[in-house]
Amino acid sequence: MDWQQPESALLIVGHGSTVNPDSSAPSLAQAEAIREHGVFREVACCFWKEEPSLRDALLFFREPEIREVYVVPNFISEGYFTETVIPRELELEGRLTTRPGGQVWKYCEPAGNHPAVTELLLRRAREIAPGVAAAETTLLIVGHGTALNENSAVAAKREVEKISALDTYASVQNAYMEEAPLISDWARLTTTPNVVVVPFFISDGLHSYQDIPVLLGIESETTAAASQREVFRRNPHRHHGRDLYYASAIGTEPKFAEILVEQAAAFDTAALDLSPIA
Amino acid sequence: MLPRAERALSDWLASGARGIGQLLIVKTGGFSLRHREDEARADLQVFRSPNDATELARLDDAENYRPLKTAPNLRHGWVLELADLPALRLALDLFYPGRLPALAAWEANQLATTPLRATLDRQTGMYRSAAKISDGEIDELVGRFCRSRGGEPGCLRTILWARDMTGARPSLRLPLDKFIAPVDQTERGEHVMPLLCQEACNLLVAEARKVVKDSSNRAERTGFEGSC
Ligand code: SF4
Repeated sequence: MDWQQPESALLIVGHGSTVNPDSSAPSLAQAEAIREHGVFREVACCFWKEEPSLRDALLFFREPEIREVYVVPNFISEGYFTETVIPRELELEGRLTTRPGGQVWKYCEPAGNHPAVTELLLRRAREIAPGVAAAETTLLIVGHGTALNENSAVAAKREVEKISALDTYASVQNAYMEEAPLISDWARLTTTPNVVVVPFFISDGLHSYQDIPVLLGIESETTAAASQREVFRRNPHRHHGRDLYYASAIGTEPKFAEILVEQAAAFDTAALDLSPIA
Repeated sequence: MLPRAERALSDWLASGARGIGQLLIVKTGGFSLRHREDEARADLQVFRSPNDATELARLDDAENYRPLKTAPNLRHGWVLELADLPALRLALDLFYPGRLPALAAWEANQLATTPLRATLDRQTGMYRSAAKISDGEIDELVGRFCRSRGGEPGCLRTILWARDMTGARPSLRLPLDKFIAPVDQTERGEHVMPLLCQEACNLLVAEARKVVKDSSNRAERTGFEGSC
């Protein structure tokens, strides 16, 4: 990473969970990796449902040398958290917020908006089904899909369009946990002998890990967290006469650390929209 | 000059503080960290990276996830050997996230506290209804949830926030010590750095929502029975 920011700090904002230890793991791991690269003077995480909270983060970065703080939401898309919760809790006035001491907080785009995310999804799909002919495979990109986070479905659709355009897989489709087309209908939605399922989430927290295997029919009940179980290591799962491959979420990929840093760098290069957050 | 959190940390250690929360800090060539109740144990598993703190803080002795890192359920049986003050600070930031910056701000007289009602009134989405909690229910909830010992699972932080703009204490069921830093919340009566709570955590907000929901369900049931 050539971009050096000795007068800046990076704040990674994650969702976190009160029940699943895997939810914050990607943000913490990426923070550790970025810290080791020494791009920023300081790197910290904060979470909506874990400590440190977003409110705690208001007390970070008090060194006079830190002139700027890049705030990067570790979320898959814009939505309720990036538009309402994060600005409110971090007291952000818009894309740029100047604190009383003159320190400037720069509110960057969520990690999931980065163009390299498409490549990560593809890489995951290839890794879990090595040697499987793409021409005989359907790739299902799974999003959450709820009224509270309508944009995550839009982002998942965008990725499907980008991957379809590459013309690699027999079919590339969206599926959702809570709205049609439902992931639980995967066998009806697809016709190919192989089906590869890649969740479009940052972490193997509640949604991706604990619920999807049950919806796919490869596990009978939601039990422990991802880190304590085996499901990813048992591919393929033979169901409905088809080979089903299930991937873990993309947020733990080492490449994701670069994405977070590049979202910060992109803030400075993008034409600034200084309007207040919606 | 040392970063502010490291300065605060080194001042506390120089003043003879034995640790923070349930952690014992021993000055060696660098620093060594362990559970305060493991002071006399010689059979501890040794860890050496400050980043190991993430893993050590994750689960309790029974391997249950610890959503609240300041709950009094830190696991036993390990010792973390750290090279220097920055490594100690990083480890403490992972064991007790956000607590050193809060302590440093408090010592500089710059720690703003937020009354519970302001925190609740700010909520949106599914947590908006938490603001409907009554003062009596707050008294019961905070008395149960934030308790240093015998809570569910409880919490070792010193509460600095008031119930509302009147400045009232949020719960009369908690000992006065719960509101005074730097009292040792583990009740061992030692000189330790306090874990400060400047604003109610999300877990308490979620619990307040649950209390409101339960009491409105009860009210509905009673109303229904009453109309029969
Ligand atoms: S509100 Fe503060 S004292 Fe109460 S449980 Fe949460 S962190 Fe602990």
